[in-house]
Amino acid sequence: MALNIQNISKKYVMGIEEVHALKDVSLKIDNNEYVAIMGPSGSGKSTMMNILGCLDIPTTGTYHLEDEDVSEMDDDQLADVRNRKIGFVFQTFNLIPRADVFHNVELPLIYGNIVPQKRKVMTDEAIEKVGLTDRAHHKPNELSGGQRQRVAIARALVNNPAIIFADEPTGNLDSVTGREIMGILDGLHRAGNTIILVTHEKEIAEHAHRIIWLRDGLIESDTVTQRAAATMEIVNN
Amino acid sequence: MRKFYSTTAAFRIALEAIRANKSRGILTTLGIVIGIVAVVTTMTAANGLGNRFKESVSALGSDVLYVSRRPWVFSGNFFQFRNRQNLQMREAQKLNTGLKNALAINPTTNTNKNVKYLSKTLEAINIIGTTEKHMVVSSSVPESGRFLTGFDIQSKKRVCVIGSEIKENLFGDIEPINKKMKLGRYTYRVVGVMEEQGSAGFFGGPNFDRQIFVPITSFMSSFGSHNRDFNIAVKAAPGVVLADFEYEVIGEMRKIRKLKPTEEDDFSINQMNQLVGAYNNVMGVIVIIGLVITGISLFVGGIGVMNIMFVSVTERTKEIGVRKAIGAKRKSILTQFLFESSTICLIGGVFGIVLSFGITALINKLVMPATISLPIVFVALLVSVLTGIFSGFIPAFKASKLNPTEALRYE
Repeated sequence: MALNIQNISKKYVMGIEEVHALKDVSLKIDNNEYVAIMGPSGSGKSTMMNILGCLDIPTTGTYHLEDEDVSEMDDDQLADVRNRKIGFVFQTFNLIPRADVFHNVELPLIYGNIVPQKRKVMTDEAIEKVGLTDRAHHKPNELSGGQRQRVAIARALVNNPAIIFADEPTGNLDSVTGREIMGILDGLHRAGNTIILVTHEKEIAEHAHRIIWLRDGLIESDTVTQRAAATMEIVNN
Repeated sequence: MRKFYSTTAAFRIALEAIRANKSRGILTTLGIVIGIVAVVTTMTAANGLGNRFKESVSALGSDVLYVSRRPWVFSGNFFQFRNRQNLQMREAQKLNTGLKNALAINPTTNTNKNVKYLSKTLEAINIIGTTEKHMVVSSSVPESGRFLTGFDIQSKKRVCVIGSEIKENLFGDIEPINKKMKLGRYTYRVVGVMEEQGSAGFFGGPNFDRQIFVPITSFMSSFGSHNRDFNIAVKAAPGVVLADFEYEVIGEMRKIRKLKPTEEDDFSINQMNQLVGAYNNVMGVIVIIGLVITGISLFVGGIGVMNIMFVSVTERTKEIGVRKAIGAKRKSILTQFLFESSTICLIGGVFGIVLSFGITALINKLVMPATISLPIVFVALLVSVLTGIFSGFIPAFKASKLNPTEALRYE
């Protein structure tokens, strides 16, 4: 089991009004699943993403990430969990503009207190996986959007996380480059990674094997995609 | 908590951030440069003055006691010393026989006279009647010619040994040895010139280069012995503890003066350290005032750095969110910004020190001997780093407390 949330709810206070972003939601995601979370804005999609990504903690309910209960951790403990178990890919890439590709990808390892020699090996490996070895010493502003997103993916997988979160990973890319990025994510899934995709594009969500549809802070549907069905058929035959 | 991620990486990240905003960094650093220059120059100047003072008073000898009517340095009522009896020549002689642990005893007396060579006159020069023992109690030596000898004293020779400043001002390029000059109305022959001591006169202290030594015997026949006040320099024998020796001298003097146990001493024991102590007291206050004033400029520089760090934190809110998302703990963010502010200030400190070396060289050439010592460099670097930590702390703390989800949303 990659993650397991039980009866999670999240309340925010906006001025004098209380907003229930998530209402008593439970969800399990297994290892090597490829899940898309969809929903209109205001559905609790971002809140769900923040909680699953250990950026925030639920108001009530429990969250087990692999064997750890993260629902009551403090800021630094959460940072540590994110560092060890989670890789993020953002819509706006969010690379450090002053640092070159190598140093951007290396960053999670620095925060994880990995020794320099080992850092170098792991960083080179991750950069190679996204095919940017010849660009390792370029700054982000010398790269195209697709290349920047590949750097972000390399950074997300450099520390071999349990789950990779991709929040609208193709949102800032043209469709050709978007497909290329999705191809990389598909490849990572085939290589055994667990991937959670947050998107509002049906086409992108179809890359996943399972689509969770949120509305008004609740899970409206949880379906297996055609693609998964196809894969399962292959397995069954 | 395991050790914070490698220092080299932290340093690299700080330099990257500073390089990204070069002109801003230079302007911010300027405040620190000026502050460090001000602080270093103040300390260097104080050091220079102090060294010069100590060098010049070292002629007094650190193991020599001076018995005088009045203390050199005193606080309180001047009149309590005014009615004391003069020290007399015969008291010096009695002290000479009474003291067991004295290596040498040198009585001196002095007066101010105009001195003249050919048509040139110097006014109110300190004429000191002394003996050949001066060479034992003082560390100063003649630069040319010789000092007074026992024979000069015994036979009341009218010879004199002049200080370096007298030679310069009165004789100029002329070789003074064996020239005849006037001390008051009397003609004396120059037999020696003392080595330059360096003046402590700027501090109201004695100017050892602007004095003339003559045999004490000739002094008294020229300038009179009536009502003269003497000083007696006594040097302790090797191995004698100065405090014990002082005790012995006091006891002997009380015996000579026939003081009752209830009576207070009617003489004073002086030594070089009192002058140094008095100097340090006065100079200490001046230096503290100087450092406070220059410290203000450093403080202003520090506020400039703090301001820029606040801007930097706000500008990079999103970056902080990203760093936290990929696993940076509070401490990592705090350290990152502290490294950045310290590095700005350290760079300012280094430039400040380089500039200070230039200014010190100029002071050295134009005003007085001054050198930047290694401890000053070390202190300046330490102070600049501390300024960086001080001015970076609040912004860095603010950055470390940012909520990652909110920081990531920031545009």
